[in-house]
Amino acid sequence: MKISDLFALAARNLARRKGRTALTVIGVAVGTCLIIVMISFGLAMNQANEEMLASWGDLTQIEVYGGGSGYAVSIGGTTVGGTSDERAVLDDAMIEDFLKMDHVVTATPFYQPYSLNGAITAGNNGRYSTLGLYNMVGVYSDALSEMGFTLASGDWLSDTGNYGRDVIPVLVCEQTGYNFQDTRKSPSSANRYRYYGQTDAMGNLLPPFVDVLKDDLTLTLSNGDTENPKEKTYQLKVVGSINPDTSKGWWTQSSFILRIQDLKELTKEYEELADVDTGSGGSTYDTVYVKVDDMDNVEKVDEAIQDIGFTTYSMTQQREAMQEQVAQLMLILGCLAAFSLLVAALNIINTMTMAIYERTREIGIMKVLGCALGKIRSMFLIESGFIGLIGGVVGVLVSLLASFVLNNLSAILAMFGAGGDMSGVISSIGGIYMGSGSAVSVVPPWLVLLALAFSTLIGLVAGILPASRAVKISALEAIRHE
Amino acid sequence: MAPIIRTQGLRKVYAVGTERVVALNDVNISVEKGEFCCIVGQSGSGKSTLLNQLAGLEKPTRGKVFIGKHEISAMTENELAAFRQAHLGFIFQSYNLLPSMTAAENVALPLMFKGMGRRKRMALARQELKNMGLASRMNHLPTEMSGGQQQRVGIARAFVSKPKVIFADEPTGNLDSKTSRQVLLRMLEMSKKDQITFVMVTHEPSLAACADRIITILDGRVQSDVVQPEDVKEKNRAELAAQLKQIEAEEAAAKAAKETAKAVKKAIAGQA
Repeated sequence: MKISDLFALAARNLARRKGRTALTVIGVAVGTCLIIVMISFGLAMNQANEEMLASWGDLTQIEVYGGGSGYAVSIGGTTVGGTSDERAVLDDAMIEDFLKMDHVVTATPFYQPYSLNGAITAGNNGRYSTLGLYNMVGVYSDALSEMGFTLASGDWLSDTGNYGRDVIPVLVCEQTGYNFQDTRKSPSSANRYRYYGQTDAMGNLLPPFVDVLKDDLTLTLSNGDTENPKEKTYQLKVVGSINPDTSKGWWTQSSFILRIQDLKELTKEYEELADVDTGSGGSTYDTVYVKVDDMDNVEKVDEAIQDIGFTTYSMTQQREAMQEQVAQLMLILGCLAAFSLLVAALNIINTMTMAIYERTREIGIMKVLGCALGKIRSMFLIESGFIGLIGGVVGVLVSLLASFVLNNLSAILAMFGAGGDMSGVISSIGGIYMGSGSAVSVVPPWLVLLALAFSTLIGLVAGILPASRAVKISALEAIRHE
Repeated sequence: MAPIIRTQGLRKVYAVGTERVVALNDVNISVEKGEFCCIVGQSGSGKSTLLNQLAGLEKPTRGKVFIGKHEISAMTENELAAFRQAHLGFIFQSYNLLPSMTAAENVALPLMFKGMGRRKRMALARQELKNMGLASRMNHLPTEMSGGQQQRVGIARAFVSKPKVIFADEPTGNLDSKTSRQVLLRMLEMSKKDQITFVMVTHEPSLAACADRIITILDGRVQSDVVQPEDVKEKNRAELAAQLKQIEAEEAAAKAAKETAKAVKKAIAGQA
């Protein structure tokens, strides 16, 4: 017997009892629909959470804190791994080790030499000057692009470029120019300062004092000794500027970004100049950024780094807590939906059993005419599978519609003229989950396919018992059956 | 020549409540290839039980049933299904057509079980129905046909796959005497044409008289097993055909008389 004949027979038998088939299909559709909608809520919640986390920080970035210089000891000092004597050291060799880990895209120290004394100046006689050198950071020159930064203009820092003696290449940020103050004005005068977003009386945006992309910048190290002043000056060569990415930190808005080797050199110069010891001198770092290829791998890398003995911070830690919460909610909702599918399955069993009672005689005739037992079983399984599949299709369609309606509830209400009051309420309710207007319900294609496969499976499983019953019917008794 | 159907010490016992009813006891019969065999007996004699054993629809309590070289009493249900599909045909008293299928689809059913494609099997089924004089009824559902027509569909279904043996359990039981005779003559003709062994249970002596072999069952035992001489069965068959002709003639006459009466009535009404 051909498969196509089996399918045709099954379809014909379903069509013969349309009413009952339809009722059973509705049962499956309701169950499938509930499951899809429940899962879509969870997916939407996760998505909203992810968006929220992403706005807080880069999800694929891990910050590693070391106990290298000075005050960072208290942060990284008491972590796991080894005794306090052989504490893990966050230096270039360790970063090499990080880079060798699976899934690590790049890693760079984030070096801020707070102890340096000096300033960056621009304009006539150094009229415009920064307050100290706090806004300088040192990184690996090739790391920024791999960490996901983008250039606003110019070029990346390069290890190979030849910039000349006492010339330091530097990347600037969008608001780096606002670091400069007008030293001709008194510190108490508001005109000494210029901050980002400041406007004149007409409301026009005021530019910073210094255009860091055009003006000559001079970096001066100073020993800070008023009686015996010693200074060393460098020219800063701005090679480019990057776009800010606050998810990676506020420093991306207004820093001078230097190559790590240049910053170490400056530190050494300063130590000689001022005859002080700044501690590590840049050989160990307080903070290292590690970039991971995918957020699903962050946890693995994070744990590996913690195992070495470092304290870390990543958004994944937040993410997991949130996902766990959503998963718990999903479990409860999913159980409810599963119950309705269970009822649907019982429905199918009932429908199929009825069908077999009604068709006992037919089954007998088919057996006597030489229909193989397996084919009879297949025929009934196909019928029940069909019920599941059709129920699944209907359920998917309904849930897609429901998902659309939920996601556009305020727009739809507004369309029907429900008024501003209502839609305001609805959108504020939606806002609890939706955050910045993202979806309430997300139905990806895999969920549709999964739902169809699952509902068909339910149909098939529910058909096993009735089909076995059909197979067991005695042919002789069946043809006598009235 | 070896017989196509053979039984050895066949015994069938039914348990009815606590009582044991012996339906068949030590039945040893054989049917030759191409024979038209009738099993006769009073109701309750065990003739239907015997047919069911022969066709493998029921397992004997003891003894063996052979069809050809195959011992069907030892087969599993699946083997039996395959065997029936390949070698056996069935005709039932209550026709047993599938109510949701047209005449042609019902006839094509055994071919479908054999795995024949739809176009081919429907063509064969239509041909078979044409042979049975049902060309105009091919796409009718069983409920839209008379008993005689339904049984002819049943016969077409049994013959369409050209089986080795056809079993028929009181095929004329629900039919009037005219249709019974028509159906019997048709089955006789077709089984002779295709050399198909035919085993039929009946309680109508006039039909059984046309068979090559008549097995009479009484109280679960073979009372007699007679191979009829050529001249006797020829005479009986001719007689049956004559009876059919007579009935048909009578019916035609009655119909004509009715028509005449109607015409006369009409004429009178016209005059008045």
